[in-house]
Amino acid sequence: MKKLLAMLLCIAMVLTLGSALAEDGKVHITYSYWGTPEEAAATQAVIDTYNASQDGVVVELETIPNEQYTATLQSRAIAGTLPDCGIMNENGVLDFAANGLLADVSGMYEGKDSQPLEAVTFKEGGTTPVAYSGCAETLILYYNKDMFDAAGIAYPPSKVEDAWSWDEFIDVAKQLTIDVNGKHPTEEGFDPDNITQYGCVVDNWTWQLEVWAHSNGGRWFSEDGTECVINSPETIESIQKVADLTLVEHVQPLYLGLADEGIIRSVASGTVAMATGGAWNMGTCMSTSGINFGIGVLPYMKEKVTLTTAGPQVVFSQSKHLKEAMDFIAWYTQEENSWNLIETGVWMPLLQKYYEEGEAMDTWLKDEDFPVKDYDMAKSVLVDYTNAAATPTCWYYTPHTSEFIDMLRSVLSPVWTGEQTAEQAINDNFDALAETITDF
Amino acid sequence: MAKRKRTKIGRGETRAAWICMLPSLLGLSLVTYIPLLAVFVLGFFKWNGLSDPEFVGFANFVRLFTKDPYMFDSIKATVYFALVAVIGSIIFSMIVAILLNRKVPARGFFRAVFYLPYVLPAMAVYLGWSWLYDYNHGFLNYLITEAGGSRVMFLENPAIVVPSLALITVWLSGNLIVVFLAGLQNVPRIYHEAAEIDGANAWQRFWKITMPCMTPIIFYNMLMSLISSLQVFVPSFTLTSGGPGNSTTFLSYLIYRYAFTASGRLGYASAIAAVFFVIIGIFTMILFATSKFWVFYMGGDE
Repeated sequence: MKKLLAMLLCIAMVLTLGSALAEDGKVHITYSYWGTPEEAAATQAVIDTYNASQDGVVVELETIPNEQYTATLQSRAIAGTLPDCGIMNENGVLDFAANGLLADVSGMYEGKDSQPLEAVTFKEGGTTPVAYSGCAETLILYYNKDMFDAAGIAYPPSKVEDAWSWDEFIDVAKQLTIDVNGKHPTEEGFDPDNITQYGCVVDNWTWQLEVWAHSNGGRWFSEDGTECVINSPETIESIQKVADLTLVEHVQPLYLGLADEGIIRSVASGTVAMATGGAWNMGTCMSTSGINFGIGVLPYMKEKVTLTTAGPQVVFSQSKHLKEAMDFIAWYTQEENSWNLIETGVWMPLLQKYYEEGEAMDTWLKDEDFPVKDYDMAKSVLVDYTNAAATPTCWYYTPHTSEFIDMLRSVLSPVWTGEQTAEQAINDNFDALAETITDF
Repeated sequence: MAKRKRTKIGRGETRAAWICMLPSLLGLSLVTYIPLLAVFVLGFFKWNGLSDPEFVGFANFVRLFTKDPYMFDSIKATVYFALVAVIGSIIFSMIVAILLNRKVPARGFFRAVFYLPYVLPAMAVYLGWSWLYDYNHGFLNYLITEAGGSRVMFLENPAIVVPSLALITVWLSGNLIVVFLAGLQNVPRIYHEAAEIDGANAWQRFWKITMPCMTPIIFYNMLMSLISSLQVFVPSFTLTSGGPGNSTTFLSYLIYRYAFTASGRLGYASAIAAVFFVIIGIFTMILFATSKFWVFYMGGDE
């Protein structure tokens, strides 16, 4: 027994000695990350470049499995052993910030040639920047060009000034919805139970519904993220309008928003003419779907709005090397370091210079691997639309949003099937919904 | 007896035994018993995983049973799922095992076929089933409409979703089939031969010999599948996100959501876990209590 103990002690000593020897006069910081071994290898390669590019700082990569990531960070926060910087889930940032665990990053891009987009800045209390996303993403409209050609209808607009109103959108969707006898919802004898091609999918994967609240002049949360206002008439109406696409207009297949697969089940699988989805879907499924697709701007109810979101890169306030950590993150999030994701359409760039006419924008949208070959279309939808209409998702300024969204998903189930109206569902559950963003 | 003097060899053996057991004891206590204890303690704290835990007495439990919007739905859904899944998989795997135990052609192939689902990655299995079950374009609904029926909301209708998910679990019960097969092969042939000589037909032999001999195996399989079904998590995580409504917000999934989807209500989730532990305990005890009425152990008359 004693021998065993002695052996363990020896091992422990050797280990501590090992790390002591690593003291080479440089500042060592850790960057935490999740991802597959291949992704970790790619990240390590980027970090190696950084370590070789200067001799003051050594960045060490720490890979934590995705499913344990948040829990691991939580326990390390308690122990005071958080990494210096790392990635996080969007919807955990404000929770960490509320506990004082994230550094104020307002100075992170000081002196750089370009700043991150305002709409992907996480702000505590709606004001203090506590993190930037590592890239940007917006919600856009995908459509199947062949279905539009077959019906002889003009493609959806790609310019924000030409955006379809909600009613125009429904009209087009009706012309593209076909039942088993070849009839449209506008025709006598249309059979809503045997539809072979649907006109549209407005994805009701819960968090994406927030865009329609803004579009209809409502909100889910107050701007400082302290108050839930999802029971406003505008917001309730926005949800009902989405549900009515299935229930009343018969232009949208029935989904309960229970899984993140709206685009995969619709435009990407060739069963639906138009669908809303994240810009990332260009790279993750549309480019390999074999569908002749185009992209456009979302239709609008009252305001022209799109939501932005993307995974944050944070600097933890426990770090003893805040400046070095921020410098590294600012360097690491440069588009060049993730270019394979950007050129394939999975990510949109983070820095504002890509959203201004010029060389940066052209290297992005004219890249030969970029999935949308029509430069004007890509510029209108991904650049001009982002500049004109981007609004941050609620988790950029509200804590506990994942709990809120989980509850909203179950509350809205009977709305999609028509058992309840949005008004009943929201009002019946408003107290419980509002409680999710508080501490209990 | 108590003061029996131990021999040197005896002491040496005891020490060796302890040393051999040490790794598993350490492992068990570090990753099972201490966390289990911690869960019960944490249930009395308000703790988000980031700030210091704050003792709140029974507040978590009180909220759980008076105010929580999910708790009762969740218990109902979990128990309902477990009952359907356990009964379904026991009957299904017993029948398959009996068929595979006969001299059917290509028996090895069929044994592999029925075991295969069990070794497939869960994510792939559930994704595949979600396409079968899809309301708008799914294969099952295609068959139903082709046959002249009207479409079924397998995953969208709160009244059907639990049996739909339980069916996947039944389909996945290849491990039970293997255990049943092993059990069937252990039913002594001499009993069958004796009964055959006495003129018992196949049906009588099944009910009077095979079934009684199999009851310990059935009991074991029921116990294992009951515990694993009560802990069901993957279907809600991959297919339904707990919906429609709360109809598939199973307790494990509820705990996961409270604890780990960033809100970090770890104390509160621990309180649910403690209640869940008691629920599993009750069901296991019920099963054990009934076992003496229907489980027969061969040669147990001594």
